[in-house]
Amino acid sequence: MNSTEQIKLINDTINKTRVNLKPLSFNFIFWGLFLNVMSIIHYLFPSFIQQTDYSSSIYWISLPLLGMIYMTRWNIKIGKKQGYETIMGRTIRIIWTVFGFGWLLIVLSSIRLEFHPVPMILFLLGLVITMTGMIIKFKPLTIGGMVLFVFVFNLLSDPDQNYLIVNMIGVTLGLLIPGIFLNRMKTNE
Amino acid sequence: MNKEIEKLLFNPIRLKIVSFLISVESSSFKKLIEVSGATKGNISIQIKKLEDAGFIKIKKKFEKNYPLTVCYITSKGKKSFDIFFQYLKSYEG
Repeated sequence: MNSTEQIKLINDTINKTRVNLKPLSFNFIFWGLFLNVMSIIHYLFPSFIQQTDYSSSIYWISLPLLGMIYMTRWNIKIGKKQGYETIMGRTIRIIWTVFGFGWLLIVLSSIRLEFHPVPMILFLLGLVITMTGMIIKFKPLTIGGMVLFVFVFNLLSDPDQNYLIVNMIGVTLGLLIPGIFLNRMKTNE
Repeated sequence: MNKEIEKLLFNPIRLKIVSFLISVESSSFKKLIEVSGATKGNISIQIKKLEDAGFIKIKKKFEKNYPLTVCYITSKGKKSFDIFFQYLKSYEG
């Protein structure tokens, strides 16, 4: 084997590493739909969700936690099926794990300190989505993350708005729509 | 280029393994078989040689009673691959 052939062998092998973005898009679509459905149920049946002082908090903690468990198991399964992990994939996984802990911390703090968690969660979500979009070089996701910052600013400047509606629009623009775009994109990288 | 690098990476199967591990964070044994196109037995021998030379790290664990082997490139492996690649580039005709 001469040096040209060996370089070709190296290139061909490296090219077998494809960053599969489909599972990532499924995560965005799942959370986009999940949070929207949760918001709609809360919006349509406020008396049911807010029966007691803590029922709304329980609703907004337990269901997303179940969603997180389901998605973590799903991502592990997909990772095993793929058989390898790229540096980019690992970076994204770490970022979203940190987001999960951040989300939990915000929600628990909001119960203890009695503040509304939505602006902080949307801010954190916007930050993580923007970072993910920049890492995978996917503009709709980066823009979606930035749009969430506008919503946070809007919520902070006018706190009397309906947080559920803002949450629904924010999640749709920041997660669901970019997730659908990402899913439809042909991934060759 | 040192003899050890030359001896190890001139083998196409080992070169494929190292090239693949360079581009990923970690890889399963099964994936290495797929990427290299070699047999299970051959891969076992080659990764053992690479591990002995300190080019890769092998972690073995059990999942649901099935053995799972995961391979990682080491910093020595990365450095050696770089030296080897530069060497190939200088000879590329």
